Amino acid sequence: MPVSRLELRGVCKTYHNGSQPAEVLHDITLSPASGAVTAIVGRSGCGKTTLLHLAGAMDFPSLGEVRIDGRATNALSDGELTALRRTRIGFVFQFFQLLPTLSAVENVELPLLLARALGARERALERLRWVGLEEKADSLPYQLSGGQMQRVAIARGLVHSPDILIADEPTGNLDTASGDQVLALLRAAAVEFGATVLMATHSAEAAAIADVRVHLRDGRIQSIS
Amino acid sequence: MKLLGRLILRPLARDKARTLLTILAVALGVAVVVAIDLAGDAATGSFRSSMETLSGKTDLEILANGGIDEKWIGVLDSLPVNATFAPIVEAQGIVDGVGVPIYGVDFVANAHGGMPDGPAGATISKALAERLHLTPPAALVVKIGGRERRIDIGRAVDAASAEFLAVDIADAQQLLARYGKLDRIDVTVAPSENFARVEKAVRAALPAGYLIEKPGVRNEENQRMVRAFRWNLRVLGYISLVVGAFLIYNTIAVSVVRRRAEIGTLRAVGASRGTVFGLFLMEALILGAAGSVAGVFLGRVLAAGVVGLIAQTVNALYISSRPTPVELTAGEAWTGLLTGMTVALVSAWKPSREAIEVPPTEAMSRGAHEHRAVLRWRRSLAWAAIFAAVAGAMALAPAWNGYPVGGYISALLAIAAMAFASPAVVLAVDRITRGITRRRAESLLAGRSLTASLARTSVVVSALATAIAMMASVGIMVASFRETVALWLDVQLRADLYVRAAVRSGAGEYPPMDAHVPALVAAIPGVAAVDDFRAAEIHYSGERATLGAGNMDIVRRFGRLRFLSGEDRDAILRSLTGHHRAVVSEPFALKHKIHAGDRLRVPVGVQMVELTVAGIYYDYSSSQGYVIVDRSTMLKYLPDLPVTNAAVYLAPGTDAESVRREIQLQAATYGVAVARNSELRRASIEIFDRTFAITWALEAVAILVAMLGAANSLLALVLDRRRELGLVRFLGGSGRQVRGMILTEAAFLGLLAAILGVVLGLALSLLLIYVVNRQSFGWTIQFHLPGGLLAAAVVSVWMVTVLAGLYPARVAARMSPIEAIQEE
Repeated sequence: MPVSRLELRGVCKTYHNGSQPAEVLHDITLSPASGAVTAIVGRSGCGKTTLLHLAGAMDFPSLGEVRIDGRATNALSDGELTALRRTRIGFVFQFFQLLPTLSAVENVELPLLLARALGARERALERLRWVGLEEKADSLPYQLSGGQMQRVAIARGLVHSPDILIADEPTGNLDTASGDQVLALLRAAAVEFGATVLMATHSAEAAAIADVRVHLRDGRIQSIS
Repeated sequence: MKLLGRLILRPLARDKARTLLTILAVALGVAVVVAIDLAGDAATGSFRSSMETLSGKTDLEILANGGIDEKWIGVLDSLPVNATFAPIVEAQGIVDGVGVPIYGVDFVANAHGGMPDGPAGATISKALAERLHLTPPAALVVKIGGRERRIDIGRAVDAASAEFLAVDIADAQQLLARYGKLDRIDVTVAPSENFARVEKAVRAALPAGYLIEKPGVRNEENQRMVRAFRWNLRVLGYISLVVGAFLIYNTIAVSVVRRRAEIGTLRAVGASRGTVFGLFLMEALILGAAGSVAGVFLGRVLAAGVVGLIAQTVNALYISSRPTPVELTAGEAWTGLLTGMTVALVSAWKPSREAIEVPPTEAMSRGAHEHRAVLRWRRSLAWAAIFAAVAGAMALAPAWNGYPVGGYISALLAIAAMAFASPAVVLAVDRITRGITRRRAESLLAGRSLTASLARTSVVVSALATAIAMMASVGIMVASFRETVALWLDVQLRADLYVRAAVRSGAGEYPPMDAHVPALVAAIPGVAAVDDFRAAEIHYSGERATLGAGNMDIVRRFGRLRFLSGEDRDAILRSLTGHHRAVVSEPFALKHKIHAGDRLRVPVGVQMVELTVAGIYYDYSSSQGYVIVDRSTMLKYLPDLPVTNAAVYLAPGTDAESVRREIQLQAATYGVAVARNSELRRASIEIFDRTFAITWALEAVAILVAMLGAANSLLALVLDRRRELGLVRFLGGSGRQVRGMILTEAAFLGLLAAILGVVLGLALSLLLIYVVNRQSFGWTIQFHLPGGLLAAAVVSVWMVTVLAGLYPARVAARMSPIEAIQEE
């Protein structure tokens, strides 16, 4: 098994809703492997999405730490976190989250533009080609099917060649055929680019393609298979 | 009520910043309208002399240019009518550097009227006595006609805030050297007497040239005289309200789009279209009412600051007035409230209709609403063309009842045309700039966001463009006017020195100069010619004007009076000497529809004199107008009419400064002021600049309202695009980049508004110059484009728009990306 770039050590996450604290994650320790797909499996509300946000450095644990390349995320400045997201992390969402006013290629290009990277258009087209949608480069999101939209989202998540790809219910809004296509792409991302793919899902079919399955229940790891 | 609370009030309370911005925008719009009205009333409400207030009820006033011979008092007293005739002399004195009205009244006759009987000596109003810390009996030194006179004050009378001195008429005539002359006779008819009979008898007894009118007519006449000025101010004030209307429209449109889910649910559970429509109108009404209430009070405060500016203009252009305290009457407060609420309702009508046009099954998404706007841009552009064409046609309409109504309608239609053209312009600019904007994430997202929210963007751009257009058009008009006046002054002020009585005076007042002065000046070595000018007030077709007389031979040889194109200056001026011929100023000709060759009947002294109009000359010193005759014609009818000023032409090579010193030395005892050509020119331009101070103040408010609108709208865009902004953070965007996106949007809005605003501003400036000003004041202004000023205006409004984006940008940068992304 390759070395893990992402580590969660004794992570707890508590939200304070009024005076009542609510613990969403409890003592999570996890080291998803590079070049492999790790699925976080569990029912709605079990803390999958929170775990992904912590892993993607979008949020910080209440206890414990999330380490990316050996550095704890809560010790990083805002600028360092932004730089981390620009270079090391990619996101794929359940509802695609494409910007409706941008074409497919512009959506894919966006992370590179935000990072002020050179050759953004060429690299975006290359990723679109990789997900098989080069011919849809100029289409607006509403002109694409759900599956196509999610493939564009994957191209966007991978355009900057991140080490970690975080996918939250990537097939949750798709039919089976489209879902399979998306899962195949996620798998290919891990294999071809060596990315650490961390995917939250409550679908057994999606979980089946993962190398490792982490079962969450009420914010705790129930089992790892 | 529950629905109103849940659907409207609660969201308004939740979006405090936006609600407050909208209310503030309406408040400012209403405040400007209220302030202009209140300040206008206060600045022009005091044309009635303070003496009228004191002497009580007067039924008729008798007036004449050149003064009334006092022998007519005897004639009137002998009439078989039960009425009293009170002679009055009016003048202006200076005490401690401040002008004070001096009235000469018949103390004996007035003993039974309002004037108190008491020990001998002059009477002072309590307000003036208090200001001067004077307690009668006391002596007061007053400068009259440039000379210091001592007046013994015997008593003080209470006349509210009015400041004046009243002396016995005989003393007044002596002080003013107006022996045997009266300025006015007040007629009081006994209650038992028939008013019409008295009026008829008085008319029959007096010469035809005397004016007999009811008191108040003069006040009405003054009010009428300044009405065009006040109307134009009011229209400028309403532009802020138009900018505010765009904002209400926008707020309700945003509100409808935001509550699409609630609208759908409400309709699905049985709420009628009327209920939904009413709810949104109610929202507008609440915002309108809150803004209007605040606006009325704010207007009252602003009025106090503005009254001085308006009074300055009225004094400079029309007639002396003393500002009265600003009073907010119930009527004016209600007018302000109703105006604000009506504007709110009218602006909210269309977006509220849109809320009910959607069937309950189809959730009204922002996308659908905006998509329709994109599809309709061609139709909007067609409407813009139609509005522009009608605006052009309306601009050609003649004045209605003295008001440039066609010009106002044309201006409103031009604004509407711009508003309808804005979607097409937004799309076009986006298309043109795509190559540049797509290179950076901030500009790419900002540009797309604006076109994606086309309907809303267009409204904000229209509001901003209206403010820019107002600034640009008034700027162009004022600059053109200033340039025209400067050129005219170059032509008009040809004399080297100007001499007048050293007395403060407003427009329409002609303080006399000592009769010896012109001859004294003419005898000074180096003086080539002296043109002594005499002026008297006349009434022509119910309007006031000035009858002036100069030495036409000197004017012809030394002056450069410019006549309307095609008229031969030399021939015209030659034809005046020794004939009943006159030249009239352009405003007079336009107001009374007079052409060269027409005949005028004007009162000169006791007679009605018929004059033939020889020519029409350009003049920018008075909108009331001048009728100018040769001095020989005037002196034939009014031999005692004093000289009011003199233009001194020097022989070539003479030093103007040394001649000025010589005049001041020799005429020291006559109290004259001598101004050099350059000083007078500078003073005239200063007066001009002062008169337009109020318009700049109004523009500042319109810009402020537009800035609030831009902030409001950007805030709405930020709140609506929370998900997108959150996503940008997920995709590696920094808080700074999110802030940059919003500021770039603000800059885009400013740029679009600048493009439309400048085009609209040019159109409005043409309207102001060639229609509104010409029809209101009768002035021909040469168009002059102040490039620097225009660029400064555009850049400053653009910067203001970017500044308006700061708060929304801060809100955007501080949003939690996780909460934003999870909203869907």
